[in-house]
Amino acid sequence: MSRQGVALTLDAITHRFGHTVAVNGVSLRVEPGEIVALLGPSGCGKTTLLRIVAGLLRQSDGHVAVGDDIVDDLPPNERGAGIVFQNYALFPHMTVEGNVGYGLRAQGTPRKAIAESVARMLALVRMEGFERRLPRQLSGGQQQRVALARTLAVSPRVLLLDEPFGALDKNLRLDMQIEVKRLQRELDITTIMVTHDQEEALSLADRVAVMNHGRVEQFARPDEIYDRPASLFVATFVGTASLLRGTLAPDGALECVAGRLPLGVATRPAGAVVAAVRPEHFRFADGAGAGLDAKVELVLPLGPLVVYDVVLADGTTLKVTVSRGAGAVSHAPGDVVRLALAPGAPVPVFPA
Amino acid sequence: MTRALRDWQLVLPLALFFTVFVFAPLGLLGVVSFYTDTTLTKAGPTQYVKFLTDGFNMAVLGQTLWLGLLATLVALAIGYPLAYIYTVVPAAAQRALMLVIVLPLLTSAVVRTFAWVVILGRQGIVNSALAALGFIDGPLRLLYTPSAVVIALAQIQLPLMVLPVITALANIDPNLRHASHVLGAGRWRTLFEVTLPLSAPGLLAGCLLVYAGSVSAFVTQTLVGGGQLMLMPQYMYQQAIQANNYPFAAAVAMILLAAVLAIVVLVNLLSRRTQALVHG
Repeated sequence: MSRQGVALTLDAITHRFGHTVAVNGVSLRVEPGEIVALLGPSGCGKTTLLRIVAGLLRQSDGHVAVGDDIVDDLPPNERGAGIVFQNYALFPHMTVEGNVGYGLRAQGTPRKAIAESVARMLALVRMEGFERRLPRQLSGGQQQRVALARTLAVSPRVLLLDEPFGALDKNLRLDMQIEVKRLQRELDITTIMVTHDQEEALSLADRVAVMNHGRVEQFARPDEIYDRPASLFVATFVGTASLLRGTLAPDGALECVAGRLPLGVATRPAGAVVAAVRPEHFRFADGAGAGLDAKVELVLPLGPLVVYDVVLADGTTLKVTVSRGAGAVSHAPGDVVRLALAPGAPVPVFPA
Repeated sequence: MTRALRDWQLVLPLALFFTVFVFAPLGLLGVVSFYTDTTLTKAGPTQYVKFLTDGFNMAVLGQTLWLGLLATLVALAIGYPLAYIYTVVPAAAQRALMLVIVLPLLTSAVVRTFAWVVILGRQGIVNSALAALGFIDGPLRLLYTPSAVVIALAQIQLPLMVLPVITALANIDPNLRHASHVLGAGRWRTLFEVTLPLSAPGLLAGCLLVYAGSVSAFVTQTLVGGGQLMLMPQYMYQQAIQANNYPFAAAVAMILLAAVLAIVVLVNLLSRRTQALVHG
């Protein structure tokens, strides 16, 4: 089964709760069949935005369009948006069959067509044979499959997932992530997923919108978000980054208390800056050459990687990860080392 | 001393209270009901036979249970929407509404009953208003009718319906309603297929409380019914105090108790099933 994905456009969406601005002028265009993650800390407005798209909340300003249709004035069921809630919100007093068929019954679909559709949906989420069970007789992962089937049964044009894997334990989470990705690809359905888990966002989404304080700080592909964060917030929220404060020399090197670090790229803000360096972009240099002087504080061997906590003369701590390949030099706490950057490592620099 | 024994001591005051003031009188009542004569000399089940074989007596029982049922239905019809409204209005309105809902509980049943007498009387508010507006020539007979008793009972017992229903409604995950709407169900379908079934335990508890309260509400039944309606509580009073026939009054009491208990057990069974569905 496949259906044509539609685009979803958010145009300058703003939402206020009383005097609090929960969503502040968000504009996004989700391409047909694309899966986009809204990523951000709790209270950043991502769930509010999702509820606005679903039609459960009316935005204070801006427009939502599904395909070419502005849906602002449409009730939830006429928008063609299906939502899977964080806690799945299965009807506890109805069987699996009753839950999955609910939307079709509400549409007045004939009995026989409902039964066929329910069977097809349960096959799609691999839950055949569970028709007569009640939600409480299912595991978390099974409940999620049923919730997905119930949402997909009414053929929504857009699928909305609210913290879809938050309630699952770690092993199950990966299984369900693969499952959701499979379904999403199979149906080619435009999907928005809300999450505060960056790994989930980076691994599942085609593009990620990183949100903070009601705004989208960056909307880009996962690798771009990671390598070229648009703001200091994105740099620190997604992945790990050590922050180096200093000034930029005309040759593009960062000068700070602990030394000079050539960064390599041209356009820079002048004056005081903050550079965000990924732990895997540092390497230990031999005594000569430019670099930062630091002292090893803590060594954490993590299988194939070693994580070092090092401290600079001004007390700044940095994280350094190096792979523990053959012949790699290892350091012990208390060692004085010189840190350099791996060649070609992208280091974003922001005005301090 | 073992822990269990220590814990038991905590129950002792209440157990003692119940023994002395509930179980003992009830037992005594049971014993008295099995005497055949008013001077309590000969034992036998004649009082029960007399009650159950007499059409008048059975009509009184039927009337009582019927009025209780009607009062429960009226309380449900008013109370459920009220409870529903409570759960959807903003917090400030909730506080005000809660005061209105529990206010009747803070005044005595006698006061509330007299209020109804004032409202429904020949010179009461309803009659005066209708007369002033020119709708009626003489006063309508509102008081001392079965409808008046039903309405008064329903209003007086209303908090007992509303409070458990509010609790049940507040326990329903709002996302269930949202899910229902997003799936295409309108307000009514959502109400009947999601909200109502999931609030059934609270609804049944409320019905039970109102029903048990209504069938035994001596003051309201008597004052609003005005002695025109013979109902079980008043029948007991009449037989015991006026006719001095304690054994028969005791038998009437035991029969009413049995009838109400039977309904309580029945509804409890039903509510256990709905609770299993709701809470799993």
